[in-house]
Formats: sequence, C-alpha cells, structure tokens
Amino acid sequence: MKYVGKKIGTLIMTLFLVSAAAFLAFEIIPGDVVASILGTEATPEREAQLREELGFNDPPIVRYGKWVAGVFQGDFGVSYRYSKNMNEMMPVAELIGDKLPVTLWLAAISLVLIVLVSIPLGVLWAKSGNHLLDAALGVITQASMAVPSFFLGILVTWLFGIMFRFFRPGGYVSYQDNFPGFLGYLLFPAISIALPKVAMTARFLRNSMLTELDSDYVRTAYSKGCTKERVMYGHVLRNAMMPVVTFLGMIVAEIVAGSIVVEQVFGLPGIGRLLISSISTRDFPVVEILILYITFVVIFVYFLVDILYKVIDPRIS
Amino acid sequence: MIKIEELSVAFGDTEVVKNVSLELRDGEILGVVGESGSGKSVTALTLMGLVSDAAKVTSGRILFDDVILREAGRPCDKALYRKFQGSEMSMVFQEPQTSLNPTQKVGRQVEEVLLLHTKLDRGEIRDKVLETFRAVGLQDAERVYVSYPHQLSGGMRQRAMIAMAVILHPRLIVADEPTTALDVTIQNQIVELLRKINAEQNNAMLFITHDLHLARRICHRVAVMKDGCVVETGTAEEVLDHPGEAYTKRLVEAVPSRVRGREGRTAGGRTCNPGSLTGENGKAPSEPVLQVRDLSVYYQDGGQALAEEEGREGGNRFSLKAFFRRNYRQYVVHHADFEIWPGESLGLVGESGCGKTSLSKAILGINHYIEGNIVHHSVRPQMVFQDPYSSLNPTKTIGWLLQEPLRAAGRLDKSLAMTKADREAAAYDMLRRVGLEEAYFHRKPSELSGGQRQRVSIAQALITNPGFIVADEPVSALDVTIQAQIMELILKLQGEMNLACLFISHDINVVYRMCDRIMVMKDGQILEIGETEEVFSHPKEDYTKLLLCNSQ
Amino acid sequence: MENTKYTGKTEVKKVKNKRWNKYLTAGMVMTGIAVTLGIVGFFWTPYSTTAMSAAEKFAPPSLRHFFGTDNFGRDIFSRVMQGMGTSILISSLVVFFSGAAGIFLGALTGYFGGLVDEVVMRITDALNGFPSILLTLVIISLLGIGMQNVIISLGLVFVPGFVRIVRSEFIRLRDADYIKRARMMRVGNFRILFVHILPNIFSVFWVSVMIGFNNAILAESGMSYLGIGVQPPDASLGKMLSDAQGYLQTAPWYALAPGLTIVWVVLGFSLFSEGIRRKGGTQR
Repeated sequence: MKYVGKKIGTLIMTLFLVSAAAFLAFEIIPGDVVASILGTEATPEREAQLREELGFNDPPIVRYGKWVAGVFQGDFGVSYRYSKNMNEMMPVAELIGDKLPVTLWLAAISLVLIVLVSIPLGVLWAKSGNHLLDAALGVITQASMAVPSFFLGILVTWLFGIMFRFFRPGGYVSYQDNFPGFLGYLLFPAISIALPKVAMTARFLRNSMLTELDSDYVRTAYSKGCTKERVMYGHVLRNAMMPVVTFLGMIVAEIVAGSIVVEQVFGLPGIGRLLISSISTRDFPVVEILILYITFVVIFVYFLVDILYKVIDPRIS
Repeated sequence: MIKIEELSVAFGDTEVVKNVSLELRDGEILGVVGESGSGKSVTALTLMGLVSDAAKVTSGRILFDDVILREAGRPCDKALYRKFQGSEMSMVFQEPQTSLNPTQKVGRQVEEVLLLHTKLDRGEIRDKVLETFRAVGLQDAERVYVSYPHQLSGGMRQRAMIAMAVILHPRLIVADEPTTALDVTIQNQIVELLRKINAEQNNAMLFITHDLHLARRICHRVAVMKDGCVVETGTAEEVLDHPGEAYTKRLVEAVPSRVRGREGRTAGGRTCNPGSLTGENGKAPSEPVLQVRDLSVYYQDGGQALAEEEGREGGNRFSLKAFFRRNYRQYVVHHADFEIWPGESLGLVGESGCGKTSLSKAILGINHYIEGNIVHHSVRPQMVFQDPYSSLNPTKTIGWLLQEPLRAAGRLDKSLAMTKADREAAAYDMLRRVGLEEAYFHRKPSELSGGQRQRVSIAQALITNPGFIVADEPVSALDVTIQAQIMELILKLQGEMNLACLFISHDINVVYRMCDRIMVMKDGQILEIGETEEVFSHPKEDYTKLLLCNSQ
Repeated sequence: MENTKYTGKTEVKKVKNKRWNKYLTAGMVMTGIAVTLGIVGFFWTPYSTTAMSAAEKFAPPSLRHFFGTDNFGRDIFSRVMQGMGTSILISSLVVFFSGAAGIFLGALTGYFGGLVDEVVMRITDALNGFPSILLTLVIISLLGIGMQNVIISLGLVFVPGFVRIVRSEFIRLRDADYIKRARMMRVGNFRILFVHILPNIFSVFWVSVMIGFNNAILAESGMSYLGIGVQPPDASLGKMLSDAQGYLQTAPWYALAPGLTIVWVVLGFSLFSEGIRRKGGTQR
C-alpha cells in the first residue's frame, strides 16, 4: 500500500510539472495572440476587451492558477480558432469531447491486437527449434519494424480499401450512429498502428525468454524431471514477461504517438488530427489541454505498469 | 550401480570429455576433482541428462543399473530421463542464488518434485516438504515454505536445494561444487549435511569440486580429471596422499597446505618481529609503511554499505534519504588498530561481510567516511583485485596499461615525468619481472589467460614501486596450479622490491603460505592479530579456531 | 571464489559468434546504396526535381522513369533521391548533436552521480516516457515550421535517450575494477572519463546511434507527412507520401516509391546495427 501511495504521489507530481512546463512554454513564445485572433477586425478597443476576457492582464502565475483551477472544474478554457457562432467562443472541452472516444477506441483496439498477437507469437518463436520458422519470423519482424505507421496506413488503404474494397477509404461512421460500424472503421487504422509494435513485442518477448532459458533455475527445473512445456509455462514465461510488461507500457506511449499520425492517414476525427491542426494554427489552449491529457494517459499507464510489476515480481518491495 | 563407459562429449568439433569411465556404487561418494575446463561439469551434466542439445555424445554410454540412459549415436531420450530425474537421480548446483526460480516460493519449487513423481494429495505434499526442510536443518520450515529465494540466506537456499534433491530419496545425487559459493563456516555445515544424508539414505553421490581438501574430507573415492580425461582414480587417501600420476602430483603440491609448512617463508633474513625488522641496507629499524590508529569506517546510507561489503554494485550513489539524514551512520569497521612494516605480508582473513573490503578501501583512500588515522609512509598504495577478467581495461594494450601509472604519476608531479622511451623501457622491464614475454606488450587483455592477466595486474600495481600493495583475494579466482605460480611470483617480487603487502583472503591456507602475520576479522572487529605460526598453533579466539578447523 | 564455469555454455556461445554475419553484409549493401544515391541526389539527379510536364503526368514506372512520374509529371526517382538525401542529412545531424550531448551529459551524470545526476535523470526519465512525436510537435509549435527547426526539435528530443544509455554504461563501468585501479593511480577525472571509460562504451553506443538514426528517419518523414517538416519546394519522402495519398487509385507507384524507400533505408540500418551487435557478441 505504501508502494502504491508513493507511486500516486509521483504521478501527481509529474502531472503538475508537465502542466506548469506546458503553460510556461506557451507563455514565453513570441507573437500577439489577441491580434492574430481578431485578424483584420482588430481595433484597439476590441483588442483590450478580448485581452480582459481571456485574462491576459493577470500575471502568468495567477493565470496558471486560474487555468489549473478551471481544469479541475472541467473548464478547459476556450479555443482561439474555433467558435460556436459569431459571438461565442468554442470551449476546448466541447471541442475535444466528441473526438476523444475515437482516439481512445483506436488506442484500445491497437493495444488489444498487440497483446493478443505478439505474446503467443513470441512464445511460439522462443519454443521453435525449427530453423526455417526462426529465420522467417526474424526477417518478417525486422521488416515490419522498418515500416513507418503512416506508410503502413497507406498500404493498408491501398490493399484493403482500394484493391479488396473491405472499406471505403476516407469514410467514417460516427460512434453515435453505428457503434459496430465505427469499430469496423477503426480496425484497419489499428492494424496499421499495431503491426510494427507486434513485431517489436514478439521479438522482445522471444529474446527475454531465450535469456531466461539460459539461466540456472531452468536447469534445476529440468533436473527435477520437468517437461519442456512445464519449464516454459511454469517457470520461464512469468519471469520473461516481467520486462515485457514494462515494454508494453512504453508501447502504449508509442500507440498514442502512432494514432496522431494514423488518424491523419485515415481521416479519422480524433484528437490527433485536432492536435496537428491546432499546432499549425497556433491554437494554444487546445494544444495545452491535449498535451496535458496525453501526458496523463501515458503516466497513468506507467503507473499501472508499476503496480502490475509489483504483483508479478515478488522481489520488489 | 552407475556406470559411465568410455564417454566422450563434443561441442561442435571440440571434444570436452574424452573416454571417461566412472563407476559408482550405492552409498559411495565419488569425488571428481580438476581445474576449470577439465570437463568435470560437462560429465556430470551429461550423466544427469542436462547438457545442452549442442553437445553430442560421440562415444560410450551411461548405465543406471541396467538401463541405458545415454548411448553414442543416439539422441538424448528425454522422456526416459524424466522418469529418473528428480526421483532416482537429482542434482545440487553451485549457485543456490541463481539455481532457484526467483519468482516462485521455495516451498512450491520443492513441491514440484512430488507433483511430478508421486500421486500424493496437497496436504501430504505439504507435510512431506516441511518434514524434509526440517531434516536438512531448516528450523523455521513453515517460514521457508512461503519465502521467496531472495528472502533467504545463501546457506538456507543451499539447504532448500538439497531438500529438493533428497526429498524422494534418489539413488544418485550429483553435487556440482555445492559449497564453492558459500562462506567457510556455512560450507562446513553443508558438507556435514551432505555426509549425513549419504549415511542415512545410502545413496551414491558424485561430488564435483576443485577443492582437494574438501575432496579428501568427504569422498570415499576420487577421480582426477584434466582436459576432458580421467587421469587417475582410486581411494581418496591413495590418490591425494600418494598420487601416482605426474599431473595429480602437481595438483596436490600446488594446493597450499599447513601440513607441508611454509618453506622459504622465514628464510632470506626476513623475520616477523616488527621491532627488529631492518631496512634494506640493514640500517636502523625503519618506520612502518602504514599505521592505522583507531580506525572506524562507516556509511551514511545503510543499504549501500551492505551492498559494497558484499561486493555488489552500489546502486545509485546519491540517495535523498542519506542526504537528509547526514547524522545516520552505520559502522562496518570498528576501531581497527595495526601497522604494516616494510617487506612484510600481513594477512587479513574473515568471511564475506566482515568489513575487510571496507577496511581495504579506507586504507587505499577510496572511502572517505572514516574516523581515526591512517598514516602512509610510502608512495600511494596500489591494489591487486580478485577477478583478473575485470581488472584490466579491455580496450587498451598491455603496454599502454603498464605505462599509465607512470603517466599519471608524471602528470601529478613534474619531477617524476618520464620520456616515452623511458616509460616503455620500464614497462618492458616490469613485464620480464612478472614472467611474461616482451611480445605481450602489444596484446590486449582478451588475448591473455587468467593467470597472465593477474601477472599484468601485479605488474601494473608495482611499476611505480609503491612499496606497499593491497592484494584482495588475488589468487581466489584462479585454478590451483596457476594459483601456486602467482603466489610464488608475489613472494619473489616482495623479496626483490622490499614490498609490504596487505593480503586479503578467505582461504586460510593461502594466507598461511603467504603471510608473516595474520589478522582475523569478524563483524567489523579485529579479533586477533599475531604471527602466523603463533595464531595457527595457538589461536586465542573461538572464531579463529572455528575458521582453522573448517579449512582443514 | 567462483572458479568453475559451465564449460558447456561457454563453448556453445563461441560457436555462435564465429558464424558468418549475414546481417552485417545485407545491412552494409542496403545502406551503401541508400547513402550513395542520397549524396549523389544533392548534386545530380536524372531529371530536374521541379520540372513539370503535363504530357508525362502519372507515367507508370519504366526505363525512362524508374519510379514513374507524379501528378505534375515530375520524375519520382529524382525526387526520391533528393528526398532521401535530405532525410539522411537531417537524421545524421540530429544523431550527431544529440549523441554528442548524450555522451557529455551521460558521462558526467553517470560517473559523478550526486544531485545534478538526480535532477538530470528525473527530467530525462520524464521526457523518455513521452511519445517522441508529441514532444517534437510541441517544440515545433513553439519554434515554428521549417527544416532547421526539425533538426533542433528532433535533436532535443533524442538527447534523453542517449543520456540514458551512456549514463547506464558509465555507471556500470565506474565501479569496474580497472577504473577503481585507475583512480588509485590518481589518473585525472577527465582522463578516466574520456580515455579509460569512453572507448569501452563504443560498441553499445554505436548500436544506439544506429537505432537513433532510424528513429530520426522515421520521425522526420512522419513530420514531413504531417506537413510540419521539410517544406516545398524541397523534396521530402514524407511530403511525397501525403501528396500521393490522393492518387492511390490512379498511381499507386507514387506512394509506393517514397514509402518503400523509407523502409529500405530503415531496414538497412537496423540490419547493419544488428550485424554489429552480433559481431560484438553482445547479442540478446
């Protein structure tokens, strides 16, 4: 319990630091935001009014405080670029709200694919004494790791979308309208994200298992009369999985990164695309919140990994 | 009962076991002794069916009663072996630390043997495991049962391993260096335990060791192996007391022994009385090279102290806890008080964790957490380490390594600066003195054997003529014959260079051979210090007696 | 104390290491071709990379145009050559600067430890856990879009990884017996760091440089694909891919050429680094 408490403490600390860093970073960049929002409609009066409205007249520390307080109350600020209508600015929360599920589901499906495919594959690979299978898997995984996710996305689109017509490239069904259809549309993007990671994870698990198989306790197990299967599943797999758990944690961060790009490839309206467009248009309130959000996801996953690690490794106290 | 007939085992094209024939009867302990690379471990693993698939049996066969376990030309029949492994034949390994699965409770690991070979129910299995734990001297059986290996001490882990091996009363136990990784006193207990089990269960035991003293003590018969061949077999007394073969003779002679005495130690005018010790040209009594006065060594951070003492990696040096708790001190050496005279060898013995490493570090000035005084009357002392494989920088040539101390000295003190030619000449000279050819000057450490590396280490420590060195288990990692050569080399150089030496070792017999005086340490205290002969014949402390008795 | 090693194991390893290293050969051939074409691409290409030709729009691959032409009738092979050169140049610079910073910071923090190490490690740990593309995006959004900023942002993002590897190597070696002995000989700190320790970490460091180079190629082309990397009129593989995406049906070669080129370069380098790793015997 003390361990968990300590980890939660670290988690909160990190979030706090990242939020402060993100806020400060956008504070120091040059350029007058107000002038650029108003563009041609800028008049000194309107500028002053908007400045007051957005709270630019407060010192940075106060604004940071207000921002954090807002985040806690679910008020994420307003976008500089998007507006609801002529007079009302678009709250960031609303902007992100319907894009979030797309990215979350995409990441979830990718992760499930990775875990379901890579672990059996890695075990099979480690067990195979077959040189041909060994070499083939070696070449295939090495090649898959060299394919960038956006090119993989394009290949998938070309192959399954255009050649086989499994889906309509660029098409999308909203999850509110047709949930199974929505998941179907996410499957191919998820495959594009997952494939290189499957290769990496399977390789990693195989190497981890081979290292474990070389250790003394495996010889002890054989000396007791264990079969190869029993040694593999009863002794080696659990120990070999430990580094893999950490590795999968890092993979989650990679999935988030991958989804940013892959959403662009498949034209999915997720937060990745929003992030890219917000960066191009310098819509900082949106960028800040998205960074904070992604950080939270990544750190939370690391937190879960730490806890899981403690569960499977008795040596950690 | 067990017959190994003309067995040869090869990895690829290299044969590592050649025509080995051994026989074992019920109740008999057969020792297999030999240096590293002699093929004794591979023989044992092949017998147990545990050798890797890359190994091919090229001739001979292994018989268990009348069952052919393994035969040349046939692949290893693993299903057949599995019937024997654990129930009829079992193995105790060298490293209890790594030989147990770190993520499984010890009880479960022992239970597995029963699960595989018996049809007992859960409760019976548990009772049987607890009973066996008690029989192998694990008093707190219930606690051991639910502990993970890392929660037990080395001795307890080895007992658990033995429990695993004997729980089904197998007819054959193969013990591969079962005590090598343990401290002397624990070693003794484990040996006694194995002997007791052998007497009670009347099983045959194949006892593999490099330690001839140990083999002499426990084995009925002994087989000596060299380069994959059995050189000599016979009863332990015959072989070890009256060796017939030249190699066995050499091996036996190389082992430092108290019985044979310390020829050459007190010859050459080197007496052990510090008061009457004279300088090189027989002038007035010189002053000691090192004076340690009321020295205590402590650590700010407890965890690290223990880690360093046990020779583990110290982890991160910086700890917030230690930073804020500056006043917290954990002492690892208490009030040490001694001196070392020129040309003298002072032996320091004690078990792991007794503080000898911390003490030597303090003397060398690596550890700054000290109280008391250390006075050097020599150039800065140098050190020779135990592991010849990690004490030379692998990316440099031997010549470069030998010149580096001179370069460093020259940089610190301009008056000591030497030209390149002088440095090289000094390095060549030193190479000769440690008995290496000049050709080694341009080689890298990876091209050298363990013994040769240790020679280079010694050369590197002595090239600045420090007058005093600390040698931390300098021969413990070497084979006996090499060990003897290195010991002779150190003695020779001590004579030539009037070198004082603090000689740290866990091996009482090595210290006996090497040192004028010895110092016994336990729990950070210096228990006893005196002339070697005196301490050996009339030990004052019980602990010293125990050490002496255990290493007989 | 430990004086018997299981000869069985060591023998097997020896046999393995002697094996002829196919990885190294394949990697060297692939990277050799890529780097040569890339460098040549800076000075000479078969066709001008900007010359448009309405007549030759979407010409499929042929002897005249190895990789065909694009929607403006530009020769794709020439553009791929140039784009690859740019990618390799950017990635080399990124790895060079971040690797140098990594050695410097990693050596100091790893060897000396202490408060500075604690602070640097906390920061690099935090950054390391982050998706690197997110960090680059943030830096780009602060600095603005452009090739120079791509190098700066990727360079910064890659530093923590190198620091981590170099640091852990220095920590491993700072307590090695031969370094302890160097300290006893009173060799200066600077000399211990860069003469005694540094040569020993090169084998590990080269592998991480190669991996870093690959990641840089992937990140750079990803950024160009997203439109925040190299800007037109400079050819870049990522930008070509995003342009080609609209013509998948009519001209699949337009997308395949730059895409497969990236795969070629990355695969070549990873085979190369795998080969080095196996040769050095530090295979896992």
